[in-house]
Amino acid sequence: MKSFWLFNLPRHRYAKTGYWFVLPYVVFFGGFVAYPLIFSFILLFHRWNIVTPMEWIGLKNFERLLNDPLFFKAILNTLKFLLIHIPLQMIIALGIAVLLNSKLKFRGFFRAVFFLPVVVSGVVVTILWQQLYAFDSGLLNRMLTAVGFGRVPWLIDPDMAMLSIALMATWKNVGIYIILFLVGLQDVPRELYESASIDGATRARQFFRITLPMLRPTFVVVVVLSTIGGFSLFVEPYVLTGGGPMESTLSAVLYIYNQAFYFNHMGYAATLGFVFALIILGVVLLQRKVIETEPTT
Amino acid sequence: MSRGYARKTLLAVSVCALMSWIGCNNPRGPEGAGRSEVVELTYWPAPNPQEVQLADTLVRRWNRTHPTIQVRMQSIPVSQSTEEVLLAAIAGKTTPDVCSNIWPGALHEYTRAGGLIPLDQFTDFDSIALARTPRDLLEPFRSEDGHYYQIPWKTNPVMMFYNLRMFEEVGVAKAPRTYSEFFAAAKKLTRDLDGDGQIDVWAGERDIRPIWWQRLFDFYPFYIAASGGKTLFKSGEPDFNDDAARIVFQFFQECYQQNYFPHTYFQGGDPFLLEKKATHFSGPWEVATLHSLAPHIRYDVAPLPVPDDYAGPVYTSGDYKNIGVFGTTKHPREAWEFVKYLLQAEHDLLLLLTTNQIPVRGDLLTNPLFAEYFRQNSKMVRFAEQAVSTRGVDAAPDLKEILDAISQEYEACAVYGKKTPTEAVNDAFRRTKVIVEWNK
Repeated sequence: MKSFWLFNLPRHRYAKTGYWFVLPYVVFFGGFVAYPLIFSFILLFHRWNIVTPMEWIGLKNFERLLNDPLFFKAILNTLKFLLIHIPLQMIIALGIAVLLNSKLKFRGFFRAVFFLPVVVSGVVVTILWQQLYAFDSGLLNRMLTAVGFGRVPWLIDPDMAMLSIALMATWKNVGIYIILFLVGLQDVPRELYESASIDGATRARQFFRITLPMLRPTFVVVVVLSTIGGFSLFVEPYVLTGGGPMESTLSAVLYIYNQAFYFNHMGYAATLGFVFALIILGVVLLQRKVIETEPTT
Repeated sequence: MSRGYARKTLLAVSVCALMSWIGCNNPRGPEGAGRSEVVELTYWPAPNPQEVQLADTLVRRWNRTHPTIQVRMQSIPVSQSTEEVLLAAIAGKTTPDVCSNIWPGALHEYTRAGGLIPLDQFTDFDSIALARTPRDLLEPFRSEDGHYYQIPWKTNPVMMFYNLRMFEEVGVAKAPRTYSEFFAAAKKLTRDLDGDGQIDVWAGERDIRPIWWQRLFDFYPFYIAASGGKTLFKSGEPDFNDDAARIVFQFFQECYQQNYFPHTYFQGGDPFLLEKKATHFSGPWEVATLHSLAPHIRYDVAPLPVPDDYAGPVYTSGDYKNIGVFGTTKHPREAWEFVKYLLQAEHDLLLLLTTNQIPVRGDLLTNPLFAEYFRQNSKMVRFAEQAVSTRGVDAAPDLKEILDAISQEYEACAVYGKKTPTEAVNDAFRRTKVIVEWNK
């Protein structure tokens, strides 16, 4: 029998050995992806509070969802967060990346400093910002009052709270996007700037006519990653505001979490999650369509 | 030979040892005669130290006088809430025979899971229950199917504590009885003491966070008071889209709009204990807290304020804790005997003495057995008087989420003034209906 050269095993033996190699992933996939997905699908049609037996209720979870103003409010809040957070994050990340790409003293130090919040635990960062944002005793309001301004209701004004969360989330995540933009900036060929300079283009004109178009693929990555990150907004409102005031910071994921683990409505939470996943799918498909129809160079 | 002998000796010793062990452990042996007839019950009281102490005393007494029905007391395992523990126990079929910490708001969950037995199956239920509790107090605890799965045991009526020194300082002689009287007093009580333009003491204060159980100390008791004893449900359907709910939302909106209540969450401790607010809505446990943590505060207790045009007895809500027998019991009759024992008048006196909580009895102020206690604890008389006009929560499904929905509307209307009382009540009612329909 002809043996296979790598392990000196017969071909069919080698093929069987292959299954053992993929087994850990199959077990992981089965336990942590396939099983929860199938179970969630079953839950869509049941009422279940974890401890008592599941109860078949047909499409009642969907019926409730259609009459649930809080879910729609949570979706709108999440979209509001995305609208503030994504542009803010892109502008700040690009600005800092351009600075860090220039010849700067202690450039390595600054690059590390801007990346530091990314590696710190989200809960720790949020608790620190809670102290900064506190209305009566927070550091930000103390600084403002020290220079003669009034106190800002960062987290207790329904019109202000989501903006405050977006600011904090931007500070926390901007480091990763700075790195992405830095990589993109370093990929722009130097000779383009050289020839533009010879042609008399100003630095601003070079930025808008060369840098920005050349960064389009990076923008695509940043938009997609920010969108996914933004849709999963949870830790910040959970720790900072609990979803308030007046549910103004209740994100979709926080609402799903509350339904599942605060009210023990597993079936309804699964339904909310299912519909939310469809909404994300729709947004991502739309983004892809818009981005892919535009020229990349 | 010697090996065979050793084997036989070993066998004989083993048989003797086995027989001695069986003999010593035989429940039908001379010393254990009748042991197999001893019924064992498990009883779960609330896990707080006072109630564990009370349960321990009661169980010891019972076990001494009932050799054939022995009770094992074990406090409810500590968790986030008793309700979670009991639901988990029902699912795992590890419930006790008797529990004295049944919150009526969770009863629907327990009965839906088949956890409790109807107590009115026992022929003497009516006579026992009515001898202790007036019918109008007992009736709200009847389930939708007409059965009683719980028997009311104790309650903590929510009333208004007020600081006598602060009232005297601004010349308010008596506790406000109506909303107008409350506002008139609140205008005087809310003050800037050091002239820095910031308010230092308030007429009242409530936790502004939309936490569901906080409504059990503001909207809910005030609604019961304003409506003359109504609760949120009637015949299993939500029934609070009415003038009483609107006027209560209006009352709290006024309190915040006029700055009689602060728009902030106090983190430095209880503002009533710190004398930063003049009134406080709470239950009888506050008497012990004030006695131990702030004995210098002079205070009194009064019924909750009611709308100006309200006439009749002032009702309030009470945090009822009731007794139930679980479906896993193998000895329902014996368990019922133990329940009856817990409800005896002398044990109600022990409940008062040990925990300062009010037994749900109609004769608290007329039965000479309790006279000495109330003579020594004059503040508790107010709560005993109020107890007969106290309502619990409805045994409705998802009451926690319903109170959460009301909390959010309360926040929008009262605290932030972003909705009118009519809008807030309508929205709370609509959301409640959706929750109730989903549960059918």
